[in-house]
Amino acid sequence: MGQNGYLCPWVEKEYGGAGLGLEYSFIVTDEMAYAGVHGLMAGLHSDIVAPYIHTFGNEEQKKKWLPSSISGEIILAVAMTEPDAGSDLSSIRTTAVKEGENYIINGEKIYISNGILSNLVVVACKTETGHESPYKDVSLICVEDTSPGFFRGRNLEKAGWHSQDTGELIFRDCQVSVSNLLGDEGKGFYYMMEKLQQERLVSAIMSQASAEATFDMTLDYCKQRKGLKKIEIPIDTNGIAEMATDIEMGRTFLNSLIYDHIHGEDIIKRVSMAKWWTSDMANRIISQCMELYRDYGYLEDHKVGRFFRDARAHPIYAGTNEIMKRIIGKKLGI
Amino acid sequence: MDFHLTTEQRDIQKAASEFAKGEFDPDAALDYDMRQQFPLTIWKKACELGFIGVYFPEEYGGQELDLLENALIVEAFCRQDSGVGMALALSDFGSEMIVRNGNVDQKKKILPFIAQGKGIVTSAFLEEGYFFAPFATYAKISNNGCMINGMKSFVTLGSIADYIIVVCQTGLDTPHAQTVILLERETDGIEVSSMGEKVGMRMIPVDQVVFVNVRVPAENIVGQEDTGYSQLQNFFNEMRIKTSAMGIGIAQGGLDKALEYSKKRVQFGKPIASFDAIRNKLADMHIDVEMARLIAYKAAWSFDTGKPDSRAILMSKMIASKTAYRTTYDAVQIFGGYGYMAEGHIEHFYRDAKVLDLFLEPGQIQRSMLADHILGRVSGE
Repeated sequence: MGQNGYLCPWVEKEYGGAGLGLEYSFIVTDEMAYAGVHGLMAGLHSDIVAPYIHTFGNEEQKKKWLPSSISGEIILAVAMTEPDAGSDLSSIRTTAVKEGENYIINGEKIYISNGILSNLVVVACKTETGHESPYKDVSLICVEDTSPGFFRGRNLEKAGWHSQDTGELIFRDCQVSVSNLLGDEGKGFYYMMEKLQQERLVSAIMSQASAEATFDMTLDYCKQRKGLKKIEIPIDTNGIAEMATDIEMGRTFLNSLIYDHIHGEDIIKRVSMAKWWTSDMANRIISQCMELYRDYGYLEDHKVGRFFRDARAHPIYAGTNEIMKRIIGKKLGI
Repeated sequence: MDFHLTTEQRDIQKAASEFAKGEFDPDAALDYDMRQQFPLTIWKKACELGFIGVYFPEEYGGQELDLLENALIVEAFCRQDSGVGMALALSDFGSEMIVRNGNVDQKKKILPFIAQGKGIVTSAFLEEGYFFAPFATYAKISNNGCMINGMKSFVTLGSIADYIIVVCQTGLDTPHAQTVILLERETDGIEVSSMGEKVGMRMIPVDQVVFVNVRVPAENIVGQEDTGYSQLQNFFNEMRIKTSAMGIGIAQGGLDKALEYSKKRVQFGKPIASFDAIRNKLADMHIDVEMARLIAYKAAWSFDTGKPDSRAILMSKMIASKTAYRTTYDAVQIFGGYGYMAEGHIEHFYRDAKVLDLFLEPGQIQRSMLADHILGRVSGE
């Protein structure tokens, strides 16, 4: 993908990118999800982690990491979640203490996508404690996989996304140069909040694409069966029409969000709506499509089963759907 | 009207639940799921304690209990673990046809064999093409016995079953002329091959069974010749009840786990069970499970009174399978990231639950059958 320019195409040419708009990157993510390919988590690499370096990194950091991210020489990950800090990011416990020219990082991260294969991880750490607002203690530090004291834990077994690794990261007196700090100390939480808008948009794109892919192949299958006069079960035209309507509505909403996001608008409320609605919609549609395949849909030979297992992740990561509704509530003033 | 279970029924429920809690180790269950293996040791123990084939007559190793009691056992098993529960519940798949329609010799041969855990029985009916009739698998019945040719798909436990009860077409002109035949799996001409990996229900192999000139004596015919269609319909009615029991068990199991987890998982300084988003979800799950259970017990009860309520039985299967799916979907959600990981011990409930929508016949067919029931004949059809 790197060789062909599919990674981070939105980065300026001076860093090795194609200098294109973000929409080109979203198209790649969309097509990968439509094909059911979750390996490498290219969308995470290109559209979620690289932007942290691009936006908050200094010139030296950008020159150091962006070209190899674009060429595919290094794989990126971002580590926020901890065993006791899932939805509640402010309660992270991983600490980074400054000692001379280094930060000494101690802690554990869990459910990290690309955790096992990554070469550079943006890690959310507490650089200070004791602020009245815990949000002011968090900083983002880039940890290279060669750093002393950086260990990988288990590659976790999960319901789906089997071509992608979800791992544990362990930091034991992990030494990282202070020059690896992204942006300013204590602003990590705000940086994450800023970038989560795009992460949620990417998640919604993936959900939408998986619903479309499943629907399209199911429709083909139904037509084919009808053609062969092998109608062992009645084809539920009503249900199919309803699914097509849901998909059309999701796509229309998503397109308007992509447009506004690219034009720099605040879409936090609406992207939270899209993230929860699209991910639940995708699961609903895939579950319904599976029934149209009769028992065959339950076999792994048929792609629909894999989409079924894979889609269940969308309502959970990048902020659970319950957190999305909490954000919407806050934005509505309740 | 009385909504209480009898003392005996409560005792059975308690015994099944204690057995499941004691024997279905969560890590072992996960291991069976991952290795796609039938839980043979647990099944043997369940047989020893008399949990399999409880509705068989006493003289054939059963306890002559009703379908409701069997449903209580299946529910308790699936509640503890969806995978192990389903595997045990389906280990006597099709024996119903022997109990209801078999002759004394067949009962003597098959029923104690199952109840004592000596072997596994399954039945084969599904084919590519039409759902019930006519089947392409054909049995030629003559003075020399039966000769079977054809292929059945989605035969649960096909590769490990000792006996296969197969429903064959015996009349070419009458779609409903079908005959049920009991076969030993080792009979010449039977070829069993796996249909591959599945999304869930992974402890139960699902196979394709090919019959090439399979010859068995006429004494292997279950019930009368050409009565297979109605035998299969009655079997489906019983199985819909059992499937409902699996569904409410899986749903209740998902709810149990979600309740427990939500009370101990702390975020934002308090247990997540204190947030409305979670509380409301749990309340909705509880409503769904309770409703599904009411109709499932009603369906089982109607069968046990000797007047099976076909509408209740159809509704029960549809409601239970939807409830199992929805409840486990929500349970995974309450577990968050942990819910998607195998070690959370909840994602396999979700994968397993989905099969119930497809099992026996998909919801769409059942909906159409229910519509037939409530509409009667509509002019212009």
